Amino acid sequence: MEPVPENIRLLKGAYWLAKLRWIAIVYVVVGTYVAHKMLGVNLNDGALYVIAGLLVVYNTTVLVMLNRLMQADQQVPCRAANKIASAYNMVVWVLFNRFTRIDPHVSCKAVKRIINFQICADLLLLTVLLHFSGGIENPLVFYFIFHMIIASILLSMRESYLQATFAVCLFGLLVLLEYEQIVPHYCLTGFVSTCLRQEKLYMLGTFFVFTTGVYLAVYMANYIAIRLKHTEYAYRQANAMLQEKDRIKDEYVFRVTHDIKGHLATIRGCLSVIVNRLAGPPGGVQEADLIRRAHKRTVKLANFVKALLQLTQMRLTDESEMDVCSLPEILQCAVGAVEARAEEKSITLDCTVESSVGDIFGDRFSIEEMVANLLMNAIAYTPEKGTVSLSARSDGDGVLVEISDTGIGIPEQEQGRVFDEFYRAANARQLERDGTGLGLSIVRLIVGRHGGEIQVESKEGCGTRFRLRLPQGQGS
Amino acid sequence: MGNSKVLIVDDDPDFVAVMKVVLEREQYTVATASDREEGMSQIQAGKPDLVIMDVMMSTWSDGFEMSRKLKKDPRYKDIPILMLTGVEQKTGIGFKSTAGDPEWLPVNGFLDKPVEPQVLLDEVKRLLCRKE
Repeated sequence: MEPVPENIRLLKGAYWLAKLRWIAIVYVVVGTYVAHKMLGVNLNDGALYVIAGLLVVYNTTVLVMLNRLMQADQQVPCRAANKIASAYNMVVWVLFNRFTRIDPHVSCKAVKRIINFQICADLLLLTVLLHFSGGIENPLVFYFIFHMIIASILLSMRESYLQATFAVCLFGLLVLLEYEQIVPHYCLTGFVSTCLRQEKLYMLGTFFVFTTGVYLAVYMANYIAIRLKHTEYAYRQANAMLQEKDRIKDEYVFRVTHDIKGHLATIRGCLSVIVNRLAGPPGGVQEADLIRRAHKRTVKLANFVKALLQLTQMRLTDESEMDVCSLPEILQCAVGAVEARAEEKSITLDCTVESSVGDIFGDRFSIEEMVANLLMNAIAYTPEKGTVSLSARSDGDGVLVEISDTGIGIPEQEQGRVFDEFYRAANARQLERDGTGLGLSIVRLIVGRHGGEIQVESKEGCGTRFRLRLPQGQGS
Repeated sequence: MGNSKVLIVDDDPDFVAVMKVVLEREQYTVATASDREEGMSQIQAGKPDLVIMDVMMSTWSDGFEMSRKLKKDPRYKDIPILMLTGVEQKTGIGFKSTAGDPEWLPVNGFLDKPVEPQVLLDEVKRLLCRKE
């Protein structure tokens, strides 16, 4: 679900307040009639009906103001048609609680101004209504609190406290003016046994409870509103993060399918030519060449899928067989695994392991694969008759393994991305077209699992050095 | 039709080899290039009768850029271009429907990879006939 923009939330709040007011108007009319005619409470019913009438006019004005605000930024081709649409919008909202059109550019400030106006006017009319219906004797006095809660939900903390102060002032003024007999007091005879206007202690007590009640309501409602806003923000952040992860996942799937499909398209192409007997005589040079190419691509595809599975498996499981193992032995094995390839390219392969390097706590096979991977990369991107070196020495509570070459190097601007999945530097792609782009990602995962770190230093055209630091862990 | 010169611009040497076999069997003269720059040099060296190109080479839009460059150049704008790629199914971008659009995709034909040899030959024939 898309988050509701602040201006739309406020606009809906303003309309909601106007809708509640219709209920309040009905409540005033029915309440006055029942209390006066049926229960025999002494009320100035004429004044109360006038107030209800005023409320109708005022609420209609509010709705017109809100409708105008919604149309402010809209292009209006026909004024009459727009008025009809506006009235229809209002009726649909009143009946079905939904808008037929909302201008997404409504200003927050303008809506807040209308909400502030509504709450101020409500408080004023409520005070007048109280005055004509018993003042402090009327329990409706606590209806002020509803407005405090609404203000806290829709407005800022400062604005809601200002509204609370306005309510306290209005009520205090009413009580004071009636107490001092500056304005008449309409005693609620029939509801209370004695007129409470002269009961000083009762008035002070009620005013104190009213004041604290109003401020406490604002404090609590603000506290809840702020917590809800924080929770909403956290959900929004989480949602944005999930969307980003989804995008990355889609990109990942795109890359994987692109690479797999590239190999498959070529294999299919080679085989199609052979199957359709387009490659010259059976067993001929052309046919043999196509079969060789199809085979080569099949091997590459299998390697790619294997690397992909390994990477996925490593991500999904944290399981690895950690044990104390000899690092010099592991390094020798890794060197042994790549010696043949180095010989093919007449590359000198140096290996120097200091005697201080001993056992290490880790997954023997993962470490061997990681080092072999780095060595294979070094050999792949080093021209013939170059040099690839491996060295290992103790470094504090860990071991530092360095693999360097005299190869093509990595362009400076691309060095930060060489560990990203599927990423291959431009010069690497030119030299070796069919790398998976997953080797260094696997290396980084293995290093991370062992609590180590890996850095790359490179100069394009001169060579590359990977510095691999592994903690000795329980092996030390 | 035979002896027409076809230039294939694709960074996949194996795929290029397959197309070369198919086209040479039909007596076409085939030249190859592995990227946009090499492709442009080949065209400047000798104008081909048809260019077959991939979309994604050094960059994902190499093919687009090369086709736009060719169609803007009065010397080469009459060379028919056949675009051959597997990108469409992965991106969901309807290349086929936009092929021929002078701004977006100024190519004369479009085929998805993998392509059957006969389909490729038919399309090549169609484009060369149209040119004539």
